[in-house]
Formats: sequence, C-alpha cells, structure tokens
Amino acid sequence: MRKLYFILIFGNAFSFLCQGPERLIPCQAVTVFSINNTDLLQKLSVDEWISYDFMDEIHQEIFDQSTENKSVKEAGLDFDKRLSLFYGKTSNYEITGFTFGIKDRVALFKIFDDFEEINTEYKNITVYQSLFNNLLIQNNNGLLIRIEPMEAYLNKITDSVWYARGNVSPFYEPDENELIFDDTTFQIENSFEILEKTYFELRDSVEFELQKHYYSYIIDDLLLNNRNLFSQDSTFRELLTHESPGVFFMDNSRNIDRANSLWYLKTILPTLFLDVQELYEGNIITGDLTLKTSSIQFDLTAKYGSALGSIYTEMNDAKFDKNILKYIKKDQPAYFTYTINLRSAYEKTFEVLVPLLSKAHDPDVSFNLLMLKLGNELINKDALFDAYKGGLFATFNGIQKVKTKKITFVYDEQTFEYSEIETETEEDMPILTVGFSTKRQDIPEMILDHFSKITSKFEKKEGYWVFQKAIFDAAPLYMLNSNGLFIITNDRELAENHRQGYGDEALTKNQIKALKHSGSISGFADISKVAQKFPTDFIEPSQQKLMDFLQSKSGKVTLISGATTKKSTSLHLNYSYNDNEISSKHFLDLLNTIYLLTR
Amino acid sequence: MNFLKLIFFCLPLTLSSCIEIIDDLSLELDGSGCLKFTVNLSASKVKMNSVLSLDSLNGKRVPKIGEIEQQIFKFKEILQKEKGINSVKTDFNNIDFILKISIEFANISDLQSSIKTAISQVSLVENLSEVDSKWISWDGNTLERLVPKIIEQSLKNDKESDLDLLKTGSYTCISRMPKIISKTSNLNCKLNPSRTASMLRVNTLDLKLNPSLLKHTITLSPE
Repeated sequence: MRKLYFILIFGNAFSFLCQGPERLIPCQAVTVFSINNTDLLQKLSVDEWISYDFMDEIHQEIFDQSTENKSVKEAGLDFDKRLSLFYGKTSNYEITGFTFGIKDRVALFKIFDDFEEINTEYKNITVYQSLFNNLLIQNNNGLLIRIEPMEAYLNKITDSVWYARGNVSPFYEPDENELIFDDTTFQIENSFEILEKTYFELRDSVEFELQKHYYSYIIDDLLLNNRNLFSQDSTFRELLTHESPGVFFMDNSRNIDRANSLWYLKTILPTLFLDVQELYEGNIITGDLTLKTSSIQFDLTAKYGSALGSIYTEMNDAKFDKNILKYIKKDQPAYFTYTINLRSAYEKTFEVLVPLLSKAHDPDVSFNLLMLKLGNELINKDALFDAYKGGLFATFNGIQKVKTKKITFVYDEQTFEYSEIETETEEDMPILTVGFSTKRQDIPEMILDHFSKITSKFEKKEGYWVFQKAIFDAAPLYMLNSNGLFIITNDRELAENHRQGYGDEALTKNQIKALKHSGSISGFADISKVAQKFPTDFIEPSQQKLMDFLQSKSGKVTLISGATTKKSTSLHLNYSYNDNEISSKHFLDLLNTIYLLTR
Repeated sequence: MNFLKLIFFCLPLTLSSCIEIIDDLSLELDGSGCLKFTVNLSASKVKMNSVLSLDSLNGKRVPKIGEIEQQIFKFKEILQKEKGINSVKTDFNNIDFILKISIEFANISDLQSSIKTAISQVSLVENLSEVDSKWISWDGNTLERLVPKIIEQSLKNDKESDLDLLKTGSYTCISRMPKIISKTSNLNCKLNPSRTASMLRVNTLDLKLNPSLLKHTITLSPE
C-alpha cells in the first residue's frame, strides 16, 4: 500500500513537473498554432526559422538593439517542448502571446533583458514585466502575454468619463468667426492644445487601468483557478496528442470575427446569424500539418453542434454543376468551385433559427425575426433560388492587355496651342471570371435589359452583354448567360470566342474526376503562376507581405472538401513541390502562409 | 484577411505610371502674364482609381476624391488672395484625372511666392524646402526656366520599378513671349515659325535621371 502511495505521489509530482508549456495557454485564447519543435528544428536552422512571420512576436521581444547579433539559439529556449502561439479577442480586449519551454533561465534573461521581476501573489510563479508584455515562468515553462483593450471599447469608456466631467469634445475646432479676435486667438488655440492633451492623458490612464483589470482577470483564471485551454477543452487536449509537426486550433463559438468565415449565412440572413450564439456551440476547427514526400498536407476538421450540423448537411447535399467544367481551362493558373444547395440551406436555417430567435427578448433580434418571417412569406423563393442555386466558380487567367481610353494632348506646330483628344490605350489587368449556376436565365437578362435602357454603358452584343468602363471607369466587364450559368468576367476572349466553353482546352478527364469527387469546395492554384503575376503594388502591407512571400515559392496547391456529417466537415489542402528544398522548409512556408491568412 | 477584398482590390491594378505635365507660360514685357499648368493622369486612371478605392497605402491614408477637390478649391482660394495674383481658374476632371490650373499674375516673383504660400497652406508637401526655390526668372529680356523643385523631388521619390513606365510620361515646357526670340540655350528647344513661342519636351524618365534637361534660357531680340 505504501508503495502504491509512493507511486501515486511520485507520479503526480512527476506529471506536474513534466507539464508542458501548453498548460499556460489561457482559456481566452481562440486561435492557437502549436509547433512540435523537435521534429522541425532538427531539420532546419534556427536562423532560418526565426525569419518567418509567425515568429514575429517572439522575434520582436527577443531582439532589440541591446541584443544584436544574438539568436534564438542563445535564448535559453527548450526546443524539445512545444512552442504555441495564441490569439483571442472579445469585444472588450485582445490577447496575444506564446508559450515555450525554458532550458537555461540565465541565458533567457540575457535576451529578455527589458523585463523586470515584480512581486506576485501567485505561488510557484515568477512574474516579469516589460513596457508592453508580461512574462510568467512556472517551472521550466514560459508564457509571454500581451493584453490590450479594444480601441472602440477604450474610446467609449474614455468618452463617457470625459463628458461626465463636463468637458467639450477634444476634437472641437472653433469656426473662423470665433478666431477673428486677435487678442484671444493665441489663448484659444493654446487652450485647445491643452484640452486635447488632457483627453489623451485620460485615455492612457483608462487604457492602463483596463489592461491591469483584464490582466488580473485572465491570469487569476489561469493560475488561481487553474483554468487553461488545455484543461478546459478536450478537443484541444486531444489535438496536442497528434504526432503531426504542427497543429491549428480555433474555437469558432468564441470567435467574434466568425462572420468572415460563414459568409454564405450572411448572404441568406444578413445580420440575424450573429444574434444566434447557440448556433455556434461546439463549432471548433482543428487542423494538422503533415509532412509527406514532396508534399505537405493540411487537414482541417470543423466540428459543430446539431443546429449548425443540420444546416451544413442540407447545404452540402448538392449536385456539382457539370456546365462549370466547360469554363475552366486545363492550364488555368487558379480556379475555385463551390457547390451548395442554397434552397435547402435556407429552409433548414429558417427552421433552426426561428425557434432560437423566438426565445430572445431583445427588440433588435425580435425585429430581425419579424423581417425574416415576412421575407419568408412574401418573397418568391422558387424564383430566388432558381436564379441563384448556390453553385459557383471563379478562375484567374493571368494578366492580359485590356483596352482602355486615355486623353492625349495634341499640339499645333504653328502656335504650340494644344487640345485634348481621346485615344485608345492598353493596360495590364488580371483576368478574373466568376460564374453562378442559374435556372432562371431570364432574370439576369431582365435586369441587364433594364440597365441598358437607363445607360448606354450597357450594350447587348451577339450572345453577351458588355458594361463599358465598368472597372474603375476604364475597362469593360462582360456578362454571359449560357449553359445554365451567368458569368461575369473581364476576359474579352472568353466573351467573344468561348461563350460555349473552352472545348478541347477545358479541364482533362482526370482533373474533372478529381473535381467531382471533391465535395462542396474545390480549388487549385499554381503558386508560381498566380503569385508572380498578381499585381501587388496597392494591396495592404500585411497582404503585400503574404504575396511577397508566395512569390518566392513554387509548387501547386489543391484544396478539396471531404465528407460532411451532422457533426463535422473536413477540408484538405495539399501543397506539392518538386524542388530540392527540404520538406521542413516547405512545411514552415505553408504554416507561415496559413498564419498570415488567419491572423 | 478578407480574401475577396484582396482579389477585388487587385483586379484592375496596373503599373502604368504615365503622367503628362504641360507647363505653359505666357509672358508680357512688364513681367506680367499667365501660367497654365496641366497634369494629365488619364493614362493611369485605372491605377488612380485603384489607389482611391483603398483606405490607406503604405501606411498613409488615401484621400477621397471629394477631399482632393476640396484641396484644389482651397489652393485656388488661397492663391487668388495673394499679392500680385489677378485671377486663378482651376478645372479638375475626376473621371480622366486631368487637373488644369490657370494663374494670371502681375510679375514672376509674386507668382512664385504665391504658389509657395498656397502649397504650404494646403500641406501638399511635408518638406517646404522642396518648394523653396525659384524655377522661373525674368530680367525683361531673358527668361530662364528650370523644372520646379516639387516635381523634381516627386520624380526622384518614385520607385525603381516604375522606371520603364516613366518613359511614357512627359513634361512639356512652353514659353510664349511678347517679342521675337533671338536664341535659346537648349538645343532641344523648339521654336514656332513666328519665333514667339518655344516648346521643350522631355520624357519623365530622362527628367528623373537628369533634371537639368529642362533647364533653358530664352533671350529676346532687342528689336
């Protein structure tokens, strides 16, 4: 018996000491990337590893001017333990951070030299703070965490305190008449500067207090209540048992930005679905990144509750529209198909949502419910869902010269006077096509016919429509209504010469077979053809970074969805390459792309 | 990231950074005259429209078309209140992106100082020293012209990748004189048959590489 107690006590102590850093991930984390360091780092130099975007947080923290020429190798990190990056957001605050193992604490603080130890009431925990971050160390595990109040919430609190004190708007500017009096002008201007400064001082104080408040709330929950994502979420726990080098976790039921991922629901019910928290219960998305010979696979599984499950099942009960195949070329740089049964999805969503919304007492939700019921009664659903059935495709066809107009000045050689003339010019433009399956070709035809009577920019040609100067008042857009598809494109070649499809140039039998078996979502991209041709000059800096990154890659990406059940659906992304780079390098490339796309 | 947004932002983007500038000066013997300045971006209107559709570019806020029109109006208002400025007309074609400014002035010195004031007050440039220079001088018989510093700086700041496309742009400098022109210092300067006007045209790439290409002196005949 004594032996048994010893084993139990020793076992518990051992398991406590051997707990991984993942147990320091707070429950408030919504998204987690976890990397099984050993597998990867043995195959790749750390110097290369730290150059990735997903290492930015760590990189920024570790490297500053005082630690120049040092590397992660010297940071005292334990690369035999998992390194996990997490992110979470509520309407009040945002948390970001990472957890890691520590091998050499002295070395760690040579790098983390901006941190100062502070007193703490948490047992067995050492807490350090820098200007923006908090570093908590428990045994040989570290948690670096940053908590920031959401800007809108911070402004709301600051404004309420500011105005409650009887202040005028800090952004108030007197009109010119008020500034006419010379003697007082200087004083008025000066007083406004002070007013604004005071407001921002108040805002800083509120921010600091909110940070402190949410920090205590999150860390108390983590360390005093022992509530962390690992202990609270069985799916996350199970995910970390996977042997794959990288795993991804997102709890969509707590993701306040989920509207982006369920755009089709938003299409059917513009605001309603956000009111229905219950719908998202159990909606957790997990993914495994797996290394294979000359390819990397990313397998994503979305689990959901019965309500969302029943909608997904109905939605995915759709037949692939074969007509789409005619409009995708076999050497298309990128294409995407999406097949859903929108009518069934709508009916099921209505059936699921009405009882859920009926329970709510909120006037806005109640009004939305009334609108939904009225819409259901008054709208001709047969016409609506025959007009747009739910199947669509999109293609990228590289860059082509597109004719546009420009104004040129011509000069009189006698007088050098000049006048304007309109001339044709050609500009490079990415060629994109989007097509929808429709049973009611008369409806888009009716709309276009109507537009053509309002403006001469809409012209009916032989078998297609042109909307002149549609794109930024320069390039035309073509609309085709053929083979049960309504197609919108800026590809003149398609509109003029391939209205019935690409014939022999269309997808091969093998490509078609793969497409048909791919479920509701299917996609293909030749990275070198797409990323290198995509114009990136005016995209946002974060997107620019992603495109720059992809432009240095080669390989092919295929995306297919798997079976959909009432409990889950899956998505598989395969990145194949045929160069000589080691697979772990490609692995981190893909991981970085996913990170950039989801952050 | 909203991927749809990314796709639609990129749909019409081109890099044809083609700008046509006409700097047309009519001068009287007393130094008064009229400056007509035209900036034609119609060959880059797809690019212009794409930029205007963005909220920010390279970390800087992109103004809305209405704000640009307001700035032009403000520029006109300030300029016409300045000493020595008789009238100012502006015309902005926001479809083809052509801006025309016509300024009637009492003398060259007033013209240049007024433009400097107006530019600084509408905050068109961050560094005022860029406009703190004279690009036209007139002594009653000789007119000397340079490329305005603000344009020289703008061209210099252009990215390397735009070099080829700058070849398609041009800067045309026209000088209409009250008397017959006896000589010009720049061999590329073209005179009209009656020798009362000169025209010097340089492509924007050459101008970027060598701003002195536009430098020229026009000397009038004593008769």
